[in-house]
Amino acid sequence: MKFSKTMKALGLTAAVALAPLMASSAQAAGTLTTAVAIDPASWDPIDTFLVDWSSAANNIYDGLTARGADMKLTPALATSWEFLDDNKRIRFKLRENVKFHNGEPFNAQAVKFTFDRLLGEEGRKGPQQSNYNSIERVEVVDDNTVDFIMKQPDPVLLTKLAGYGAMIVPPKYVQEKGDDYFNTHPVGTGPFKFVEYNPKDRLILEANPDHWGGAPKLDRLVFRFISEANTQVAELQAGRIDVATLIPFGLAPTIEKSQNLSLMSVTGPTVVSLRFNTKDGITKDVNVRKALIMGVDRDAIIKAVLLGHGKPIASFQSELSFGNDPALKPLPFDLAKAKQMLQAAKVPAGAPVRIDFRGNDATFREVAQATAGYLQALGLKPALQPHEPPVLLNDIIPNGKTGEAWHQAWGGWTFDYDNNAYLMYHSGEKWNPYYNDAKLNEMLEKQRLVYDVKEREKILQEIARYVADQALELPLYNQNTIYGVNKRVKDFDAPADRRFRYTKTSVE
Amino acid sequence: MAGFITKRLLQALFVILAVTLIVSFAIRLSGDPAIMLMGGGNVTEQDLQNIRQALGLERPFHVQYLSFLQGIFVGDLGRSFIGNTPVSALIGQALPATLLLAFTSLLISIVLSVPLGIHAAVHRGRWPDQLIRILSLVGLSFPNFWLAIMLVLLFSIFLGILPPSGMEGPESFVMPALTMAIILTATNVRLVRTSMLETLSQQYIMVARSKGLRDRIVLYKHALRNSAIPLVTYIGVQFGNLIGSIVIVERVFNWPGMGTLAFDAVSNRDYPVLQGTIAVLALFIVLINLAVDIAYGLIDPRIRTE
Repeated sequence: MKFSKTMKALGLTAAVALAPLMASSAQAAGTLTTAVAIDPASWDPIDTFLVDWSSAANNIYDGLTARGADMKLTPALATSWEFLDDNKRIRFKLRENVKFHNGEPFNAQAVKFTFDRLLGEEGRKGPQQSNYNSIERVEVVDDNTVDFIMKQPDPVLLTKLAGYGAMIVPPKYVQEKGDDYFNTHPVGTGPFKFVEYNPKDRLILEANPDHWGGAPKLDRLVFRFISEANTQVAELQAGRIDVATLIPFGLAPTIEKSQNLSLMSVTGPTVVSLRFNTKDGITKDVNVRKALIMGVDRDAIIKAVLLGHGKPIASFQSELSFGNDPALKPLPFDLAKAKQMLQAAKVPAGAPVRIDFRGNDATFREVAQATAGYLQALGLKPALQPHEPPVLLNDIIPNGKTGEAWHQAWGGWTFDYDNNAYLMYHSGEKWNPYYNDAKLNEMLEKQRLVYDVKEREKILQEIARYVADQALELPLYNQNTIYGVNKRVKDFDAPADRRFRYTKTSVE
Repeated sequence: MAGFITKRLLQALFVILAVTLIVSFAIRLSGDPAIMLMGGGNVTEQDLQNIRQALGLERPFHVQYLSFLQGIFVGDLGRSFIGNTPVSALIGQALPATLLLAFTSLLISIVLSVPLGIHAAVHRGRWPDQLIRILSLVGLSFPNFWLAIMLVLLFSIFLGILPPSGMEGPESFVMPALTMAIILTATNVRLVRTSMLETLSQQYIMVARSKGLRDRIVLYKHALRNSAIPLVTYIGVQFGNLIGSIVIVERVFNWPGMGTLAFDAVSNRDYPVLQGTIAVLALFIVLINLAVDIAYGLIDPRIRTE
């Protein structure tokens, strides 16, 4: 028959067609490609809530202050600042001779415009305004000086000026081109300039040789949007991206074993705990809560589930967080003692402990299963209840419909314990459906009024101690931020908060 | 014919109405997008109120849905909750990418399945037939995402000849199109084989053979055309399934198409994007089916005259 010949011809055609498609895996010199999960769709600072926005936009814009990978706050577009009028007025001296990428000068007007926009009608529609509500208004003193008039004290303000909604935007450009255009053609004062944006695909930036901090070493930055972790890893292995930001713990060993790749695992902002229902169930009793903490081997969970990419915590914050107290140690794992405490509290065998968690979190599912195993060993009857995230966040937690414990993962880029503690423990807060303690409320409110760093740190540490004494939660771990990086990348500072700033980085 | 097409288009309208109503309603049962937009984090109830108001979410469901319908007729599908991008612009970019991929896969699958199916039918019961049937069974049993990952492993990681993701050039099409084509081919081969077997047992084929026509002419001129009708019908039906599996395949290969758009819209609770994407996909499926009906007439003159 002729058909076998046809088949051969088909196969041959396929082979010939594929042959010239040898993919160009080697990347252009001077170009660094980073993969982030989500396309923020708008590059306007006031529109965003995504870390992935910052991974790219931190290279386009500058804030009045800056914070590098070492988490130290430094001057940026402001060169110095002072507190006046009993801390109600903060005066910033601005850097001179700075220009936006479009040639527009950076000055006091630009700062005022940026914050008028953020705090006004335009900002109201976005998620950023709420972070900056402590500012009443910005006043222009002269071309290179601005005053921030404060509505209420905000000790975290200087940190918050280093990112997200506080990034300085060019007034003339935004007004002339309009918001829609600015969303997709961002202009800032940062070390890299906008070149091209293909929605859902990539953002391309090029070096700004006139940057006030000196010209960057790289010529070009490419940010690709890849939401599937396996795909990011495949791209990394194929040498087509240099930095991957979405590495599930399970794939970390693959990258470690690869010859041309390195795995960077750094302390991150995300902390995870099982918070207790202090109103109903066996967790009403503080001694039972302590017994549950002691009954779960958190170190073993970190080792087995996170493959070591995490650290144990004593309070609901990262060790990088302001307010963290290294002297505060987690309760030790002691099964026998935990059993004794449960007996002393007259908890019947087989008492139920329901854990509500985000069903889409594959890592936590394993953590929850491991925890359930330990609770079972204590003679309790654990039940795991996964939820759709918006249902858990909108209904189950705020309306107090949780079981004895629920999953809370948290991590603010500001690395300040206030961001966690106030929202978790102050009565009436969305994330605190059960607990109401006048003493704790008072401490939480007090630290928000204190600018003195030492004094505020002391109060925050007291809060953490108090929460640990009351055993309001089972602190599980502080999860590492993991990057897969091609070895051709030099001087890559792995930032804990994924806000890259590729000024010193180069590629071979 | 014109009457027939008008009737089908009216049906299409009804289908789109029903589909978007169900989708709009169902997605709203799964929680508040405001909280997702705020990153699930540091927010007060007042902030959430502001966001809901800005997005028009405080309005009752029927008002939201009616304003969406109103928009459809003037070509305004609303704006994405994320980045405030017009939905029509997002779809304008994603639709060509998806259609290109869908038609490429369909084409590959037809090119593969027709000769293979005929080959199997002609050699019925002998080893080429057995082999093709086993292969088709294997192809049917592959989950598409697994197949996609295996292809990436082979072509991108081990051989390093194809890009693992993205839509950059012709080489980007190979793996995603192949993934879908393999699954399509597995079904189509069986269809061609069965249909061909039926046709080959017809008397006119016997007549054709007995007048001494060559095999090739009998098969391709007489038999294939007659067995094409079930295949064409099935391809119309398949297009719906194709759109279903394209969501997964696009995600694995990070293809900037409608599947990725819909997937992200679901995870971010981006109602306008999801409603728009679904409406456009539904419209396409309806139109493809219409095209299939018209194609019958072209293939089979007997239907044309009816």
